[in-house]
Amino acid sequence: MTIEDLKEYGANVQEGIDRCAGMPDFYLRLAERVKQEKGFEKLESAIKEKRLKDGFEAAHALKGVLGNLALTPMYEPIREITELLRVETDTDYMPLLNEILEQKRKFDLL
Amino acid sequence: MDSMKNTFLTSYGKRLVLVADDEPVNREILSSVLKDRYDVLFAEDGRKALELIEEHRNVLSLVLLDILMPELSGKEVLSALRSDARYRYLPVIVLTSDEDSEVECLNLGASDFITKPYPKADIILARIQRIIELSEDRRIISSTERDQITGLYTRDYFYRYAEDFDVHHRDVEMDAIIVDISHFRMINERFGSRYGDQLLGRVGRRLREVIDEGRGIVCRREADVFLIYCEHGMDYAHILEYASQAGEGDEKECRIRLRMGVYARVDKKLDLPRRFDRAQIAAESLRSSVTNVIGMYDDAMHEKELFETQLVEEFDQAVREEQFAVYFQPKFDIRTSVPVLSSAEALVRWIHPELGLIPPFRFIPLFEETGLIQTLDHYIWTHTARKIREWKDRLGFCVPVSVNVSRIDMYDPHFVDTILEIVKENGLEPAELLLEITESAYTEDSGQIIEVVNQLRNLGFRIEMDDFGTGYSSLNMISELPIDALKLDMQFIRNAFGEHRDTWMLEVIIDIASYMHVPTIAEGVETEEQMLSLRELGCDIVQGYYFSKPVPAEEFEPFLIERKQQLESSADQERIPFDSKLKIVQATEKKKARNELKEQHRRLLDSYYDPQTGLYNETVFELLLENTDLAHVAVLAMEIDGLDEIRQKQGEEGVREAVNTVADALRKNFRSVDSVCRMGDHTFAVIMTRADSSLKQVVIHKVRYVNCLLKHPEEGKAPLTLSTGAAFGDGGKEAESLFPDACAALKRAREKGGSRCEIL
Repeated sequence: MTIEDLKEYGANVQEGIDRCAGMPDFYLRLAERVKQEKGFEKLESAIKEKRLKDGFEAAHALKGVLGNLALTPMYEPIREITELLRVETDTDYMPLLNEILEQKRKFDLL
Repeated sequence: MDSMKNTFLTSYGKRLVLVADDEPVNREILSSVLKDRYDVLFAEDGRKALELIEEHRNVLSLVLLDILMPELSGKEVLSALRSDARYRYLPVIVLTSDEDSEVECLNLGASDFITKPYPKADIILARIQRIIELSEDRRIISSTERDQITGLYTRDYFYRYAEDFDVHHRDVEMDAIIVDISHFRMINERFGSRYGDQLLGRVGRRLREVIDEGRGIVCRREADVFLIYCEHGMDYAHILEYASQAGEGDEKECRIRLRMGVYARVDKKLDLPRRFDRAQIAAESLRSSVTNVIGMYDDAMHEKELFETQLVEEFDQAVREEQFAVYFQPKFDIRTSVPVLSSAEALVRWIHPELGLIPPFRFIPLFEETGLIQTLDHYIWTHTARKIREWKDRLGFCVPVSVNVSRIDMYDPHFVDTILEIVKENGLEPAELLLEITESAYTEDSGQIIEVVNQLRNLGFRIEMDDFGTGYSSLNMISELPIDALKLDMQFIRNAFGEHRDTWMLEVIIDIASYMHVPTIAEGVETEEQMLSLRELGCDIVQGYYFSKPVPAEEFEPFLIERKQQLESSADQERIPFDSKLKIVQATEKKKARNELKEQHRRLLDSYYDPQTGLYNETVFELLLENTDLAHVAVLAMEIDGLDEIRQKQGEEGVREAVNTVADALRKNFRSVDSVCRMGDHTFAVIMTRADSSLKQVVIHKVRYVNCLLKHPEEGKAPLTLSTGAAFGDGGKEAESLFPDACAALKRAREKGGSRCEIL
């Protein structure tokens, strides 16, 4: 995965690098770790099993990490689902979850 | 300025910061931002965060805390920190992506927050630095702001916050309240200062709890004195009762008694210390009361304060304009059939141009308190010496005149030189200016006073011990005091010739003076009957209205003239030829009679004391008890435990030593108002005055304390214990039944194994 790949993916790379003390390599290393992030699986199973509280915790944690790394395509739906889960909104979470998982799948291919 | 401070701050080492976040990516980002400027610790959950905070609590400068974490959430960590006084000043910055949480965390005590996604690195660094600086400033301020023992405000900050409170609550009526703990020094002495400090802490906490934060503040001014500045309308009795419970429930069972002085609805034009001065005046009005614990500042106190302020303010002018007049009261030698003038006492009166004649009791205590007495004393000494000089020059005669020397004079390193110079300036001999020093000065710091008195006597001054009988001197001490006369406190004369005519105490004191070979002077003698009785009792010199009230110098002159004439006529008589042999015989007879009298006094004294221990004997015990107010007395009967064993092991010498040790311990550890007596071989009795059955615990503690001292004697001495029985006189008991009752209680104490105090 390169900086260019991330740019093409839609990440706000400059913002992410700024947060990582201006070090692109360090930014890339952290971004690579997102591929192994277990939070996505936790979120998926929690939503499917209607455990909204657990879903919120997983989404909230992902939101922080993705936000910090400015991985915008994943961050946006995560932010949206976090706010819905926070108040346990009675809604169909699957479209948003699918969007998140789809973005994660694309990211994993980088 | 700020940059200077920042340079200084960063120059003395990196601060330690804890990052608590369960997301490794977040931790690593923060690490990369912080690592150059700070030493960083990491925690992946709340529990670990608390462990690290505890471990590094003395060096940790800041916590960056994520809100949602496993084990223990950030909010729970924050709550734990804020409820623990040790972390009062540890700043926490919350890391959050939720706006709702921000307010909640600030309310929970977070210092600031950093949002996620994180802002730029320099923003994070700037925020962290600002919070650390604020916290360190706050810590520095609070170390002077808060009293270490109680956590309450210190006095200076208290006054500042009270002023701030006034600024924002102009129309609110306020009270200034002072609270202190009665006899706190005794608590410290009995239980140690560590316990005393704990107790102060608990009293402080209770005062803070009971004074609603929004309506008042509390501080510890010094020692056991607390100040409260609060809105008017609080329940004073409730405040006092709640704080008084601070001693309950601990292992010492220490019952404390708080007193309160209240200046209600303060005059806000007065500065704060003045407002609390008034509360203090109200508190001091309780001094003579046993039952009343709340004193209110009232109009009478206000008027007294205004009057005293006026006196203090006008003092300098009064000295300049010589408004103070020296009056003289003659002292008469009553040993002869016709009393003769022997000396006089110089007494001050203030002839105020507007207020008229002000009696000394209105200003002497005030000037003693304010230190002005030194100037006034100097004034009186100088004016008296000048007057003596003038009489000697004009009348060719004068008697010695005594002047008062205040306690504060005795601590003035120039005092001896000053008084000697006054005497020399006027061409007088030191013996012509008698010096009266109050007995209580001797008892307060006898070493220092005795040294000064010795210097004065070596120079030829003569010292009269004033107000004798009020200073609780011990008999041992009196015998060593360098004095030339004992002046009885006026109260003795009043008691001796009052409603319940009782001259017994007077006799004892005259005996003491005789034992010391010094004359006694009785003040306040008002009638011929009193004068004659005093002469019969052996008193040498008398002063009082019977002969003359204190009078201005010109009215005192006739006394001098008369005395001069008496002396001249007796000198004429002496010029008449006489049978010198007869005179020698008369003189010898007189000397013999005097020696016999001394011997009688000695025998009388011997009959009061136990020869081995020097304590009072059984006879004195009975006399004392008969003359004591039974409603306020406790009688203790005490026996040394295990005396048979001591006798077996160490013989009679061991028993003798044990008795002496116990006598010594009792004499040293009971109050000067208590009387310790030896009743039999190994039985002692103590008459505790001013004690009724509400003070049972005090008596038990006292006995326990003495036992504790005896159990742990100095090296080389055997440990001892006492069994004690106590009986109180306030149940309408007869004097004769008190000691038997105490003995019955003593028997019970022995049956229970000894080394204890039982109360009947």
